[in-house]
Amino acid sequence: VSTSFQRDLVSLVPKLRRFALSLTGNAADGDDLVQSACEKALRNQAQFQSGTRMDSWMYRIVQTLWLDDLRKRRVRGPSLDPDDHDIGDEGKGARLAEDRMMLASTAAAMATLPEPQRVVLSLVAVEGLSYKEAADVLEVPVGTVMSRLSRAREALLPQLGMSRGGRQ
Amino acid sequence: MMTVMDKDRLAAFVDGELSPEEAAAVVLHLADTPVDQAYVDDLFAANEALAQAFGAPLSEPVPEAIHAAIMGPSAATNVVAFRPRRALALAALALAASVAAAAVLLPGLLQTPSAAGIALGPLPPRAPFAEVLDTRAAGTQVMLADGREVMVLATFGMPDGRYCREFEVVDTSAGRADFAIGCHGNDGWVVEVAIAEVTDPALNPGFVPAGDAEIDALSRFLNRAGAPAVLDPAAEAEAIRQGWSAR
Repeated sequence: VSTSFQRDLVSLVPKLRRFALSLTGNAADGDDLVQSACEKALRNQAQFQSGTRMDSWMYRIVQTLWLDDLRKRRVRGPSLDPDDHDIGDEGKGARLAEDRMMLASTAAAMATLPEPQRVVLSLVAVEGLSYKEAADVLEVPVGTVMSRLSRAREALLPQLGMSRGGRQ
Repeated sequence: MMTVMDKDRLAAFVDGELSPEEAAAVVLHLADTPVDQAYVDDLFAANEALAQAFGAPLSEPVPEAIHAAIMGPSAATNVVAFRPRRALALAALALAASVAAAAVLLPGLLQTPSAAGIALGPLPPRAPFAEVLDTRAAGTQVMLADGREVMVLATFGMPDGRYCREFEVVDTSAGRADFAIGCHGNDGWVVEVAIAEVTDPALNPGFVPAGDAEIDALSRFLNRAGAPAVLDPAAEAEAIRQGWSAR
């Protein structure tokens, strides 16, 4: 018999997979990450305070596991290959080749960002969290969220061919 | 000489962090400052590109491995409340229902064999209902060649591992609707319970409060077989994909 905790967790999976995909850059690693995070959440169920937001709690678990995993991988040596960055659905959502290239280049650009910036950009721009909510997930001040976001965009926009406005 | 606005403020505008008054001030500023307008356009476009680049999981079912990790391998179902539906106008024809009672209650229907309801027992594999039960998601209305409309209402995972699907067949011209539950066995679908309802044109096919008789009949069936566990859309899609093989 499932609990409401389990059911709530299942209903969050699509968003968690999107978040994980934006961090890892490919669907298989993203799903591994989500599965590990869900298993960890179940083990630590008692730590979740009912009445608080489960999505924030899960985003935190996902990003913590991801960073842990990256650290372990770095010890073994980098394995980042730009060709690894498929875009989740093999471009099913992209009807035009141009769209597909844009999606692929967006995913590739995202992968070049330092991890803390990638997490913040994903939480705010992809997951739609407010600065305050993102700060709560990451347990950092709102000002830190804003500065990471700003640096992430400074790096991302030129890669997307978007600095035509000339704002410095 | 234009005065540009702080980039963090422009970003906060794009990210929806500003109050309505603050946002209005930014909009006024942008109208006079093309370089900032261009930057704001870029930020919006970048957010959109990010949302699209990673948005695929939102329209995909929950992967089986993740579902199993959360719910356990043997409980691939979500239990939700059994939802009430339309009132029964006439009679319930459960497995053991009295034909005599039906004859009393359904005289008009019995005189029009073409409008016969759903027969209990195995559905021939080529029966139109069988195709609907095999392939359609709950909530999808299918018009049959004879004008009747079929829709699966819910999909159940039974404790014995079988799948059962509750469906309705509406025959507007005959003024009747039938509800039934079909369960998938080794030889395809078997209708295990069927209930007739006469649709009242005066009700202008609207929904009326659920009748106790209908819920009783369906609940009795489900309770006899175990707790009703309704599959969520993802689990249902997976069951369709796997051809309803018992879990």
